[in-house]
Amino acid sequence: MSRAEPGSVGLYHRVVVYLLFAILLLPLAGTLVYSIASSWSATVLPSGFTFKWYVQLWSDPRFLHAFGQSLLVCVGALVLSVVLILPLLFVVHYHFPKLDALMNILILLPFAVPPVVSSVGLLQLYGSGPLAMVGTPWILIGCYFTVALPFMYRAITNNLQAINLRDLMDAAQLLGASTFQAAFLVVLPNLRKGLMVALLLSFSFLFGEFVFANILVGTRYETLQVYLNNMRNSSGHFTSALVISYFFFVLVLTWAANILSKDKSQ
Amino acid sequence: MSYVSVQHLQKSYAGTPVFSDINCEIGKGEFVTLLGPSGCGKSTLLRCIAGLTAVDAGQIILDGQDIVPLSPQKRGIGMVFQSYALFPNMTVEQNVAFGLRMQKVDAGDSRQRVLEILRLVELHDFAARYPHQLSGGQCQRVALARSLVTRPRLLLLDEPLSALDARIRKHLREQIRQIQRELGLTTIFVTHDQEEALTMSDRIFLMNQGKIVQSGDAETLYTAPVDVFAAGFIGNYNLLDADSASKLLQRPVSGRIAIRPEAIELSRNGEADALIRSHSLLGNVIRYRVEARGVELVVDVLNRSAADLHPDGARLSLSIDPSALCEVA
Repeated sequence: MSRAEPGSVGLYHRVVVYLLFAILLLPLAGTLVYSIASSWSATVLPSGFTFKWYVQLWSDPRFLHAFGQSLLVCVGALVLSVVLILPLLFVVHYHFPKLDALMNILILLPFAVPPVVSSVGLLQLYGSGPLAMVGTPWILIGCYFTVALPFMYRAITNNLQAINLRDLMDAAQLLGASTFQAAFLVVLPNLRKGLMVALLLSFSFLFGEFVFANILVGTRYETLQVYLNNMRNSSGHFTSALVISYFFFVLVLTWAANILSKDKSQ
Repeated sequence: MSYVSVQHLQKSYAGTPVFSDINCEIGKGEFVTLLGPSGCGKSTLLRCIAGLTAVDAGQIILDGQDIVPLSPQKRGIGMVFQSYALFPNMTVEQNVAFGLRMQKVDAGDSRQRVLEILRLVELHDFAARYPHQLSGGQCQRVALARSLVTRPRLLLLDEPLSALDARIRKHLREQIRQIQRELGLTTIFVTHDQEEALTMSDRIFLMNQGKIVQSGDAETLYTAPVDVFAAGFIGNYNLLDADSASKLLQRPVSGRIAIRPEAIELSRNGEADALIRSHSLLGNVIRYRVEARGVELVVDVLNRSAADLHPDGARLSLSIDPSALCEVA
Protein backbone atom coordinates (compact mmCIF):
# COMPACT_ATOMS: atom_id res chain seq x y z
CA MET A 1 0.00 0.00 0.00
CA SER A 2 1.28 3.43 -0.84
CA ARG A 3 2.00 5.70 2.09
CA ALA A 4 1.18 8.78 0.03
CA GLU A 5 -2.00 10.38 1.27
CA PRO A 6 -4.42 12.37 -0.87
CA GLY A 7 -3.78 16.15 -0.51
CA SER A 8 -6.41 17.21 2.03
CA VAL A 9 -6.08 14.13 4.25
CA GLY A 10 -2.27 14.43 4.22
CA LEU A 11 -2.52 18.09 5.15
CA TYR A 12 -4.92 17.28 7.99
CA HIS A 13 -2.56 14.64 9.36
CA ARG A 14 0.38 17.03 9.17
CA VAL A 15 -1.57 19.77 10.92
CA VAL A 16 -2.51 17.39 13.75
CA VAL A 17 1.12 16.33 14.20
CA TYR A 18 2.47 19.90 14.10
CA LEU A 19 -0.22 21.06 16.48
CA LEU A 20 0.65 18.33 18.93
CA PHE A 21 4.33 19.24 18.72
CA ALA A 22 3.47 22.92 19.21
CA ILE A 23 1.38 22.13 22.30
CA LEU A 24 4.20 20.06 23.76
CA LEU A 25 7.02 22.42 22.84
CA LEU A 26 5.38 25.79 23.49
CA PRO A 27 5.71 25.73 27.29
CA LEU A 28 9.29 24.56 26.98
CA ALA A 29 10.09 27.22 24.39
CA GLY A 30 8.49 29.85 26.66
CA THR A 31 10.50 28.64 29.65
CA LEU A 32 13.68 28.62 27.57
CA VAL A 33 13.15 32.19 26.38
CA TYR A 34 12.28 33.27 29.93
CA SER A 35 15.43 31.63 31.27
CA ILE A 36 17.64 33.68 28.95
CA ALA A 37 15.66 36.92 29.29
CA SER A 38 17.26 39.65 31.37
CA SER A 39 13.77 40.85 32.27
CA TRP A 40 10.37 40.12 30.73
CA SER A 41 7.33 41.50 32.49
CA ALA A 42 5.24 44.24 30.86
CA THR A 43 6.39 43.79 27.27
CA VAL A 44 5.46 41.33 24.49
CA LEU A 45 9.11 40.40 23.98
CA PRO A 46 11.92 40.29 26.56
CA SER A 47 13.83 43.52 27.03
CA GLY A 48 17.18 41.70 26.55
CA PHE A 49 18.92 38.36 26.64
CA THR A 50 21.47 37.06 29.10
CA PHE A 51 23.00 33.85 30.40
CA LYS A 52 23.41 35.24 33.90
CA TRP A 53 20.67 33.01 35.33
CA TYR A 54 22.48 29.92 34.10
CA VAL A 55 25.80 31.21 35.43
CA GLN A 56 24.14 31.97 38.74
CA LEU A 57 22.50 28.54 38.86
CA TRP A 58 25.56 26.51 37.91
CA SER A 59 27.73 28.42 40.37
CA ASP A 60 25.31 27.87 43.24
CA PRO A 61 26.90 25.18 45.46
CA ARG A 62 23.48 24.28 46.89
CA PHE A 63 22.18 23.50 43.38
CA LEU A 64 25.25 21.43 42.50
CA HIS A 65 24.89 19.57 45.76
CA ALA A 66 21.19 18.85 45.15
CA PHE A 67 21.97 17.79 41.59
CA GLY A 68 24.67 15.41 42.79
CA GLN A 69 22.43 14.01 45.53
CA SER A 70 19.58 13.41 43.07
CA LEU A 71 22.00 11.66 40.77
CA LEU A 72 23.35 9.53 43.59
CA VAL A 73 19.93 8.43 44.84
CA CYS A 74 18.67 7.63 41.33
CA VAL A 75 21.78 5.72 40.33
CA GLY A 76 21.79 3.88 43.67
CA ALA A 77 18.16 2.83 43.23
CA LEU A 78 18.77 1.73 39.64
CA VAL A 79 21.87 -0.27 40.52
CA LEU A 80 19.84 -2.01 43.23
CA SER A 81 17.06 -2.67 40.71
CA VAL A 82 19.40 -4.21 38.15
CA VAL A 83 21.18 -6.33 40.72
CA LEU A 84 17.91 -7.68 42.15
CA ILE A 85 15.49 -7.67 39.22
CA LEU A 86 17.67 -9.19 36.50
CA PRO A 87 18.33 -12.45 38.37
CA LEU A 88 14.71 -12.49 39.54
CA LEU A 89 13.42 -12.13 35.99
CA PHE A 90 15.78 -14.79 34.79
CA VAL A 91 14.65 -17.25 37.46
CA VAL A 92 10.96 -16.49 36.87
CA HIS A 93 11.15 -16.86 33.10
CA TYR A 94 13.52 -19.79 32.92
CA HIS A 95 12.60 -21.92 35.92
CA PHE A 96 9.16 -20.81 37.11
CA PRO A 97 7.27 -19.27 34.16
CA LYS A 98 3.98 -19.69 36.04
CA LEU A 99 5.17 -17.12 38.59
CA ASP A 100 5.07 -14.42 35.91
CA ALA A 101 1.31 -13.96 36.45
CA LEU A 102 1.90 -13.34 40.18
CA MET A 103 4.79 -11.00 39.44
CA ASN A 104 2.61 -8.99 37.08
CA ILE A 105 0.23 -8.30 39.97
CA LEU A 106 3.04 -7.56 42.44
CA ILE A 107 4.74 -5.03 40.19
CA LEU A 108 1.52 -3.02 39.94
CA LEU A 109 1.46 -2.42 43.70
CA PRO A 110 3.76 0.63 43.63
CA PHE A 111 1.26 2.23 41.23
CA ALA A 112 -1.80 1.07 43.16
CA VAL A 113 -0.84 2.97 46.33
CA PRO A 114 -0.58 6.76 45.88
CA PRO A 115 2.87 8.17 46.86
CA VAL A 116 1.41 10.38 49.60
CA VAL A 117 -0.27 7.36 51.23
CA SER A 118 2.78 5.09 51.03
CA SER A 119 4.97 7.95 52.31
CA VAL A 120 2.89 8.13 55.48
CA GLY A 121 3.30 4.36 55.91
CA LEU A 122 7.03 4.57 55.31
CA LEU A 123 7.37 7.44 57.81
CA GLN A 124 5.66 5.27 60.44
CA LEU A 125 7.77 2.21 59.65
CA TYR A 126 11.16 3.81 59.26
CA GLY A 127 10.77 6.95 61.40
CA SER A 128 12.15 5.32 64.54
CA GLY A 129 13.34 2.01 65.88
CA PRO A 130 16.16 -0.15 64.57
CA LEU A 131 15.42 0.77 60.94
CA ALA A 132 15.22 4.54 61.40
CA MET A 133 16.09 5.76 57.92
CA VAL A 134 13.80 8.75 57.44
CA GLY A 135 15.85 11.77 56.42
CA THR A 136 18.65 9.65 54.95
CA PRO A 137 19.24 8.80 51.29
CA TRP A 138 18.84 5.09 52.13
CA ILE A 139 15.07 5.32 52.51
CA LEU A 140 14.89 7.17 49.20
CA ILE A 141 16.99 4.52 47.44
CA GLY A 142 14.76 1.75 48.81
CA CYS A 143 11.61 3.65 47.95
CA TYR A 144 12.82 4.53 44.45
CA PHE A 145 13.66 0.87 43.92
CA THR A 146 9.97 0.00 44.32
CA VAL A 147 9.00 2.86 41.99
CA ALA A 148 11.44 1.64 39.34
CA LEU A 149 10.31 -1.99 39.69
CA PRO A 150 7.34 -1.88 37.25
CA PHE A 151 9.36 -0.06 34.55
CA MET A 152 12.27 -2.44 34.88
CA TYR A 153 10.19 -5.59 35.11
CA ARG A 154 7.94 -4.82 32.13
CA ALA A 155 10.65 -3.62 29.76
CA ILE A 156 12.96 -6.54 30.47
CA THR A 157 10.10 -9.07 30.38
CA ASN A 158 9.15 -7.90 26.88
CA ASN A 159 12.76 -8.28 25.85
CA LEU A 160 12.99 -11.76 27.40
CA GLN A 161 9.86 -12.92 25.63
CA ALA A 162 11.27 -11.71 22.32
CA ILE A 163 14.51 -13.69 22.54
CA ASN A 164 13.18 -17.21 23.24
CA LEU A 165 15.07 -17.56 26.50
CA ARG A 166 14.52 -21.29 26.99
CA ASP A 167 15.93 -22.40 23.63
CA LEU A 168 18.91 -20.03 23.91
CA MET A 169 19.74 -21.35 27.37
CA ASP A 170 19.29 -24.97 26.29
CA ALA A 171 21.45 -24.46 23.18
CA ALA A 172 24.21 -22.77 25.19
CA GLN A 173 24.19 -25.49 27.84
CA LEU A 174 24.36 -28.29 25.26
CA LEU A 175 27.38 -26.50 23.82
CA GLY A 176 29.08 -26.79 27.19
CA ALA A 177 28.19 -23.51 28.92
CA SER A 178 27.26 -23.50 32.61
CA THR A 179 23.99 -21.79 33.57
CA PHE A 180 25.96 -18.71 34.65
CA GLN A 181 28.00 -18.64 31.41
CA ALA A 182 24.84 -19.09 29.32
CA ALA A 183 23.11 -16.26 31.18
CA PHE A 184 26.13 -13.96 31.08
CA LEU A 185 27.38 -14.62 27.53
CA VAL A 186 24.16 -15.31 25.68
CA VAL A 187 21.12 -13.93 27.49
CA LEU A 188 22.45 -10.74 29.06
CA PRO A 189 23.88 -9.18 25.85
CA ASN A 190 20.50 -9.72 24.23
CA LEU A 191 18.73 -7.90 27.05
CA ARG A 192 20.79 -4.74 26.56
CA LYS A 193 18.07 -2.97 24.63
CA GLY A 194 15.33 -3.74 27.15
CA LEU A 195 17.65 -2.87 30.01
CA MET A 196 18.58 0.49 28.51
CA VAL A 197 14.93 1.37 27.91
CA ALA A 198 14.07 0.32 31.47
CA LEU A 199 16.94 2.30 32.98
CA LEU A 200 16.17 5.38 30.94
CA LEU A 201 12.48 5.35 31.73
CA SER A 202 13.12 4.78 35.41
CA PHE A 203 15.85 7.40 35.60
CA SER A 204 13.75 10.10 33.92
CA PHE A 205 10.89 9.29 36.27
CA LEU A 206 13.00 9.14 39.44
CA PHE A 207 15.06 12.21 38.63
CA GLY A 208 11.86 14.25 38.50
CA GLU A 209 10.28 12.60 41.56
CA PHE A 210 9.18 15.06 44.24
CA VAL A 211 6.56 13.62 46.62
CA PHE A 212 8.66 10.87 48.24
CA ALA A 213 11.77 13.06 48.30
CA ASN A 214 9.96 15.95 49.96
CA ILE A 215 8.07 13.90 52.56
CA LEU A 216 10.69 11.28 53.41
CA VAL A 217 13.87 13.37 53.45
CA GLY A 218 12.94 17.01 52.69
CA THR A 219 15.81 19.45 53.21
CA ARG A 220 17.85 16.95 55.23
CA TYR A 221 18.95 15.41 51.94
CA GLU A 222 17.92 17.93 49.30
CA THR A 223 17.30 16.47 45.86
CA LEU A 224 16.88 18.51 42.68
CA GLN A 225 13.08 18.62 42.81
CA VAL A 226 13.07 19.56 46.48
CA TYR A 227 15.62 22.30 45.69
CA LEU A 228 13.37 23.52 42.86
CA ASN A 229 10.45 23.64 45.29
CA ASN A 230 12.50 25.51 47.87
CA MET A 231 13.62 28.05 45.27
CA ARG A 232 10.06 28.76 44.07
CA ASN A 233 10.08 32.19 45.69
CA SER A 234 13.30 33.30 44.00
CA SER A 235 13.44 34.84 40.52
CA GLY A 236 11.30 33.11 37.85
CA HIS A 237 14.23 33.47 35.43
CA PHE A 238 16.40 31.51 37.80
CA THR A 239 13.89 28.66 38.24
CA SER A 240 13.32 28.63 34.45
CA ALA A 241 17.06 28.16 33.98
CA LEU A 242 16.83 25.29 36.47
CA VAL A 243 13.93 23.62 34.62
CA ILE A 244 15.69 23.98 31.25
CA SER A 245 18.95 22.63 32.70
CA TYR A 246 17.04 19.66 34.10
CA PHE A 247 15.26 19.08 30.80
CA PHE A 248 18.49 19.40 28.82
CA PHE A 249 20.24 16.92 31.11
CA VAL A 250 17.50 14.30 30.62
CA LEU A 251 17.59 14.98 26.85
CA VAL A 252 21.35 14.44 26.65
CA LEU A 253 21.01 11.32 28.75
CA THR A 254 18.29 9.95 26.45
CA TRP A 255 20.40 10.67 23.41
CA ALA A 256 23.46 9.03 24.96
CA ALA A 257 21.47 5.98 26.00
CA ASN A 258 20.11 5.68 22.47
CA ILE A 259 23.60 5.79 21.01
CA LEU A 260 24.87 3.25 23.54
CA SER A 261 21.97 0.86 23.04
CA LYS A 262 22.32 0.86 19.26
CA ASP A 263 23.18 -2.78 18.88
CA LYS A 264 25.17 -3.72 15.82
CA SER A 265 23.49 -7.12 15.81
CA GLN A 266 20.00 -5.58 15.54
CA MET B 1 25.69 -54.02 20.44
CA SER B 2 23.66 -50.88 19.96
CA TYR B 3 25.28 -47.48 20.28
CA VAL B 4 22.29 -45.79 21.90
CA SER B 5 19.97 -47.78 24.09
CA VAL B 6 16.91 -46.32 25.77
CA GLN B 7 15.65 -48.65 28.48
CA HIS B 8 12.35 -48.46 30.35
CA LEU B 9 12.31 -44.67 30.21
CA GLN B 10 9.54 -42.95 32.13
CA LYS B 11 8.48 -39.33 32.23
CA SER B 12 5.38 -37.64 33.56
CA TYR B 13 4.32 -34.04 34.16
CA ALA B 14 2.23 -33.36 37.27
CA GLY B 15 1.14 -36.99 37.47
CA THR B 16 0.21 -37.23 33.78
CA PRO B 17 2.53 -39.68 32.04
CA VAL B 18 4.16 -38.47 28.81
CA PHE B 19 5.60 -41.93 28.29
CA SER B 20 5.72 -44.83 30.73
CA ASP B 21 8.03 -47.47 29.30
CA ILE B 22 10.02 -46.43 26.25
CA ASN B 23 12.61 -48.83 24.89
CA CYS B 24 14.63 -48.45 21.71
CA GLU B 25 18.02 -49.35 20.29
CA ILE B 26 19.99 -47.33 17.77
CA GLY B 27 23.11 -48.50 15.96
CA LYS B 28 26.29 -46.42 15.44
CA GLY B 29 26.02 -44.14 12.42
CA GLU B 30 22.29 -44.76 12.07
CA PHE B 31 19.81 -42.02 11.15
CA VAL B 32 16.61 -42.73 13.02
CA THR B 33 13.44 -40.70 13.13
CA LEU B 34 10.92 -40.33 15.93
CA LEU B 35 7.71 -39.80 14.00
CA GLY B 36 4.33 -39.03 15.47
CA PRO B 37 1.57 -36.48 15.91
CA SER B 38 1.90 -33.45 18.20
CA GLY B 39 1.83 -34.37 21.87
CA CYS B 40 2.90 -38.01 21.35
CA GLY B 41 6.03 -37.48 23.49
CA LYS B 42 8.68 -37.52 20.75
CA SER B 43 10.16 -34.09 21.58
CA THR B 44 10.10 -34.88 25.31
CA LEU B 45 12.00 -38.11 24.60
CA LEU B 46 14.57 -36.13 22.62
CA ARG B 47 14.93 -33.56 25.43
CA CYS B 48 15.35 -36.41 27.94
CA ILE B 49 18.17 -37.85 25.82
CA ALA B 50 19.76 -34.38 25.62
CA GLY B 51 19.47 -33.95 29.38
CA LEU B 52 17.30 -30.85 29.09
CA THR B 53 14.37 -32.63 30.74
CA ALA B 54 14.86 -34.90 33.74
CA VAL B 55 13.56 -38.46 33.47
CA ASP B 56 11.54 -40.16 36.22
CA ALA B 57 13.06 -43.60 35.72
CA GLY B 58 14.98 -45.68 33.19
CA GLN B 59 18.35 -45.59 31.53
CA ILE B 60 19.83 -43.99 28.46
CA ILE B 61 23.02 -45.78 27.44
CA LEU B 62 25.24 -43.91 25.00
CA ASP B 63 28.34 -45.75 23.82
CA GLY B 64 28.23 -48.03 26.85
CA GLN B 65 27.72 -45.26 29.42
CA ASP B 66 24.51 -44.40 31.26
CA ILE B 67 24.12 -40.67 30.61
CA VAL B 68 21.03 -40.08 32.76
CA PRO B 69 23.06 -38.81 35.76
CA LEU B 70 25.11 -36.48 33.52
CA SER B 71 24.34 -32.80 32.94
CA PRO B 72 23.63 -31.69 29.32
CA GLN B 73 27.12 -30.12 29.19
CA LYS B 74 28.77 -33.47 29.86
CA ARG B 75 26.75 -35.70 27.55
CA GLY B 76 28.60 -34.81 24.36
CA ILE B 77 25.34 -34.40 22.46
CA GLY B 78 24.65 -31.82 19.75
CA MET B 79 21.15 -30.54 19.17
CA VAL B 80 19.41 -28.46 16.53
CA PHE B 81 16.20 -26.70 17.56
CA GLN B 82 13.12 -25.84 15.54
CA SER B 83 13.58 -22.18 16.49
CA TYR B 84 17.29 -22.37 15.43
CA ALA B 85 18.25 -20.88 18.86
CA LEU B 86 21.11 -18.92 17.31
CA PHE B 87 22.62 -16.33 19.63
CA PRO B 88 21.45 -12.98 18.17
CA ASN B 89 24.38 -11.02 19.64
CA MET B 90 26.98 -13.15 17.89
CA THR B 91 28.04 -13.44 14.26
CA VAL B 92 27.74 -16.73 12.40
CA GLU B 93 31.40 -17.46 13.15
CA GLN B 94 31.02 -16.62 16.85
CA ASN B 95 27.88 -18.75 17.06
CA VAL B 96 29.61 -21.75 15.55
CA ALA B 97 32.73 -21.20 17.65
CA PHE B 98 30.75 -20.96 20.91
CA GLY B 99 30.98 -24.67 21.75
CA LEU B 100 34.74 -24.69 21.06
CA ARG B 101 35.14 -21.57 23.22
CA MET B 102 33.40 -23.41 26.06
CA GLN B 103 35.76 -26.36 25.53
CA LYS B 104 38.68 -23.86 25.65
CA VAL B 105 39.96 -24.99 22.26
CA ASP B 106 42.97 -22.98 21.08
CA ALA B 107 41.89 -19.92 19.00
CA GLY B 108 43.77 -20.93 15.84
CA ASP B 109 42.47 -24.48 15.89
CA SER B 110 38.98 -23.22 16.67
CA ARG B 111 38.96 -20.83 13.71
CA GLN B 112 40.11 -23.56 11.36
CA ARG B 113 37.44 -25.98 12.56
CA VAL B 114 34.73 -23.30 12.33
CA LEU B 115 35.67 -22.44 8.74
CA GLU B 116 35.80 -26.13 7.83
CA ILE B 117 32.34 -26.79 9.18
CA LEU B 118 30.96 -23.60 7.61
CA ARG B 119 32.34 -24.79 4.27
CA LEU B 120 30.56 -28.10 4.82
CA VAL B 121 27.20 -26.31 5.19
CA GLU B 122 28.13 -23.92 2.35
CA LEU B 123 28.07 -20.81 4.55
CA HIS B 124 31.76 -19.87 4.68
CA ASP B 125 31.00 -16.55 2.94
CA PHE B 126 28.51 -15.64 5.67
CA ALA B 127 30.85 -15.96 8.67
CA ALA B 128 30.72 -12.26 9.56
CA ARG B 129 26.96 -11.92 9.34
CA TYR B 130 24.52 -11.79 12.23
CA PRO B 131 21.61 -14.26 12.46
CA HIS B 132 19.04 -11.58 11.58
CA GLN B 133 20.85 -11.06 8.26
CA LEU B 134 20.25 -14.69 7.22
CA SER B 135 17.26 -16.54 5.77
CA GLY B 136 15.53 -19.31 7.74
CA GLY B 137 17.33 -22.03 5.80
CA GLN B 138 20.71 -20.38 6.34
CA CYS B 139 19.98 -19.98 10.06
CA GLN B 140 19.22 -23.67 10.35
CA ARG B 141 22.45 -24.55 8.54
CA VAL B 142 24.37 -22.36 11.01
CA ALA B 143 22.60 -24.15 13.87
CA LEU B 144 23.59 -27.47 12.31
CA ALA B 145 27.22 -26.32 11.90
CA ARG B 146 27.25 -25.09 15.51
CA SER B 147 26.12 -28.48 16.81
CA LEU B 148 28.53 -30.41 14.54
CA VAL B 149 31.70 -28.42 15.22
CA THR B 150 32.14 -29.86 18.72
CA ARG B 151 32.13 -33.38 17.17
CA PRO B 152 29.22 -34.68 19.29
CA ARG B 153 28.74 -38.37 20.01
CA LEU B 154 25.10 -38.07 19.06
CA LEU B 155 23.17 -35.48 17.04
CA LEU B 156 19.58 -34.63 17.91
CA LEU B 157 17.38 -32.74 15.45
CA ASP B 158 14.13 -31.41 16.93
CA GLU B 159 11.82 -30.64 14.00
CA PRO B 160 14.56 -28.55 12.38
CA LEU B 161 12.73 -28.10 9.10
CA SER B 162 9.24 -27.26 10.36
CA ALA B 163 9.63 -23.49 10.16
CA LEU B 164 10.97 -23.50 6.59
CA ASP B 165 9.16 -23.30 3.28
CA ALA B 166 8.72 -26.44 1.15
CA ARG B 167 11.51 -25.87 -1.38
CA ILE B 168 14.18 -25.03 1.23
CA ARG B 169 12.97 -27.89 3.41
CA LYS B 170 13.51 -30.39 0.61
CA HIS B 171 16.99 -29.06 -0.15
CA LEU B 172 17.99 -28.96 3.50
CA ARG B 173 16.84 -32.48 4.28
CA GLU B 174 19.03 -33.79 1.47
CA GLN B 175 21.93 -31.72 2.79
CA ILE B 176 21.44 -32.92 6.39
CA ARG B 177 21.33 -36.54 5.25
CA GLN B 178 24.43 -36.13 3.10
CA ILE B 179 26.43 -34.51 5.93
CA GLN B 180 25.25 -37.17 8.39
CA ARG B 181 26.45 -39.92 6.02
CA GLU B 182 29.75 -38.14 5.39
CA LEU B 183 30.48 -37.80 9.11
CA GLY B 184 28.96 -41.19 10.02
CA LEU B 185 27.13 -39.41 12.83
CA THR B 186 24.46 -41.23 14.84
CA THR B 187 21.41 -39.01 14.53
CA ILE B 188 17.95 -38.89 16.04
CA PHE B 189 15.51 -36.77 14.09
CA VAL B 190 12.11 -35.71 15.38
CA THR B 191 9.31 -34.85 13.00
CA HIS B 192 5.56 -35.09 12.51
CA ASP B 193 6.02 -35.05 8.73
CA GLN B 194 5.79 -38.60 7.33
CA GLU B 195 7.40 -37.60 4.03
CA GLU B 196 10.47 -36.26 5.84
CA ALA B 197 10.66 -39.44 7.92
CA LEU B 198 10.27 -41.76 4.96
CA THR B 199 12.83 -40.01 2.75
CA MET B 200 15.56 -39.38 5.34
CA SER B 201 15.64 -42.27 7.78
CA ASP B 202 17.44 -45.57 8.05
CA ARG B 203 14.81 -46.50 10.60
CA ILE B 204 11.65 -44.92 11.89
CA PHE B 205 10.09 -45.17 15.36
CA LEU B 206 6.43 -44.34 15.01
CA MET B 207 5.08 -42.93 18.27
CA ASN B 208 1.57 -42.43 19.57
CA GLN B 209 0.38 -41.46 23.05
CA GLY B 210 3.78 -42.00 24.64
CA LYS B 211 4.43 -45.40 23.05
CA ILE B 212 6.49 -46.61 20.14
CA VAL B 213 3.78 -48.36 18.14
CA GLN B 214 5.94 -49.55 15.26
CA SER B 215 9.56 -49.40 14.20
CA GLY B 216 11.34 -50.41 11.05
CA ASP B 217 12.67 -49.04 7.78
CA ALA B 218 10.60 -46.73 5.62
CA GLU B 219 9.36 -49.53 3.36
CA THR B 220 8.14 -51.68 6.25
CA LEU B 221 6.30 -48.80 7.85
CA TYR B 222 4.74 -47.75 4.59
CA THR B 223 3.71 -51.13 3.27
CA ALA B 224 2.91 -53.00 6.47
CA PRO B 225 1.30 -50.78 9.10
CA VAL B 226 0.65 -52.74 12.29
CA ASP B 227 -2.49 -50.96 13.43
CA VAL B 228 -5.15 -48.45 12.51
CA PHE B 229 -3.08 -45.55 13.87
CA ALA B 230 -0.01 -46.50 11.81
CA ALA B 231 -2.13 -46.94 8.69
CA GLY B 232 -3.87 -43.63 9.30
CA PHE B 233 -0.69 -41.70 10.04
CA ILE B 234 1.50 -42.99 7.23
CA GLY B 235 0.22 -42.56 3.70
CA ASN B 236 -3.44 -42.13 2.85
CA TYR B 237 -4.62 -45.64 3.55
CA ASN B 238 -8.23 -46.68 2.93
CA LEU B 239 -9.25 -48.20 6.25
CA LEU B 240 -12.15 -50.64 5.97
CA ASP B 241 -13.95 -52.49 8.74
CA ALA B 242 -14.74 -56.20 8.27
CA ASP B 243 -18.21 -55.58 6.76
CA SER B 244 -17.04 -53.02 4.19
CA ALA B 245 -13.99 -55.14 3.33
CA SER B 246 -16.19 -58.23 2.81
CA LYS B 247 -18.53 -56.26 0.51
CA LEU B 248 -15.65 -54.81 -1.51
CA LEU B 249 -13.62 -58.01 -1.83
CA GLN B 250 -16.74 -60.21 -2.17
CA ARG B 251 -15.40 -62.77 0.30
CA PRO B 252 -15.66 -63.05 4.06
CA VAL B 253 -13.11 -60.93 5.93
CA SER B 254 -12.72 -61.18 9.70
CA GLY B 255 -10.72 -58.06 10.63
CA ARG B 256 -9.91 -54.53 9.54
CA ILE B 257 -8.21 -54.07 6.20
CA ALA B 258 -5.97 -51.22 5.05
CA ILE B 259 -5.45 -50.60 1.34
CA ARG B 260 -2.98 -48.08 -0.11
CA PRO B 261 -4.69 -45.73 -2.59
CA GLU B 262 -2.06 -46.42 -5.27
CA ALA B 263 -2.61 -50.20 -4.98
CA ILE B 264 -6.09 -49.84 -6.48
CA GLU B 265 -6.35 -49.80 -10.25
CA LEU B 266 -9.05 -48.17 -12.38
CA SER B 267 -9.58 -49.22 -15.99
CA ARG B 268 -12.10 -48.88 -18.78
CA ASN B 269 -12.04 -52.63 -19.50
CA GLY B 270 -14.13 -55.12 -17.55
CA GLU B 271 -17.16 -54.79 -15.32
CA ALA B 272 -17.98 -51.11 -14.62
CA ASP B 273 -18.37 -51.53 -10.84
CA ALA B 274 -16.84 -48.24 -9.66
CA LEU B 275 -18.35 -44.76 -9.84
CA ILE B 276 -16.09 -41.68 -9.75
CA ARG B 277 -17.57 -39.30 -7.16
CA SER B 278 -14.91 -36.58 -7.39
CA HIS B 279 -11.31 -36.05 -8.30
CA SER B 280 -8.46 -33.67 -7.54
CA LEU B 281 -5.23 -33.16 -9.38
CA LEU B 282 -2.16 -33.30 -7.08
CA GLY B 283 0.36 -32.72 -9.88
CA ASN B 284 1.85 -36.06 -10.88
CA VAL B 285 -0.98 -37.92 -9.16
CA ILE B 286 -4.75 -37.76 -9.65
CA ARG B 287 -6.68 -38.53 -6.47
CA TYR B 288 -10.15 -40.02 -7.08
CA ARG B 289 -12.93 -40.49 -4.59
CA VAL B 290 -14.62 -43.64 -5.83
CA GLU B 291 -17.67 -45.65 -4.77
CA ALA B 292 -17.42 -49.37 -5.45
CA ARG B 293 -19.85 -52.03 -4.24
CA GLY B 294 -21.26 -49.60 -1.68
CA VAL B 295 -17.83 -48.72 -0.26
CA GLU B 296 -16.13 -45.31 -0.57
CA LEU B 297 -12.44 -45.47 -1.49
CA VAL B 298 -9.59 -43.09 -2.25
CA VAL B 299 -7.65 -44.09 -5.36
CA ASP B 300 -4.38 -42.52 -6.52
CA VAL B 301 -3.55 -42.80 -10.21
CA LEU B 302 -0.30 -41.69 -11.78
CA ASN B 303 -1.02 -38.77 -14.10
CA ARG B 304 0.76 -40.06 -17.23
CA SER B 305 -1.55 -38.78 -19.94
CA ALA B 306 -5.03 -37.39 -20.59
CA ALA B 307 -6.30 -41.01 -20.68
CA ASP B 308 -5.71 -41.22 -16.89
CA LEU B 309 -8.04 -38.30 -16.24
CA HIS B 310 -11.63 -39.56 -15.80
CA PRO B 311 -14.57 -37.19 -15.35
CA ASP B 312 -16.75 -37.23 -12.21
CA GLY B 313 -19.68 -39.64 -12.69
CA ALA B 314 -17.69 -41.98 -14.96
CA ARG B 315 -18.14 -45.72 -14.41
CA LEU B 316 -14.97 -47.82 -14.50
CA SER B 317 -13.67 -51.19 -13.53
CA LEU B 318 -11.83 -51.41 -10.19
CA SER B 319 -9.20 -54.01 -9.26
CA ILE B 320 -7.04 -54.41 -6.16
CA ASP B 321 -3.67 -56.16 -5.98
CA PRO B 322 -4.28 -58.86 -3.29
CA SER B 323 -0.71 -58.52 -1.99
CA ALA B 324 -1.43 -54.88 -1.11
CA LEU B 325 -4.18 -55.79 1.37
CA CYS B 326 -2.99 -55.25 4.93
CA GLU B 327 -4.73 -56.68 7.94
CA VAL B 328 -4.43 -54.21 10.81
CA ALA B 329 -5.20 -54.48 14.51
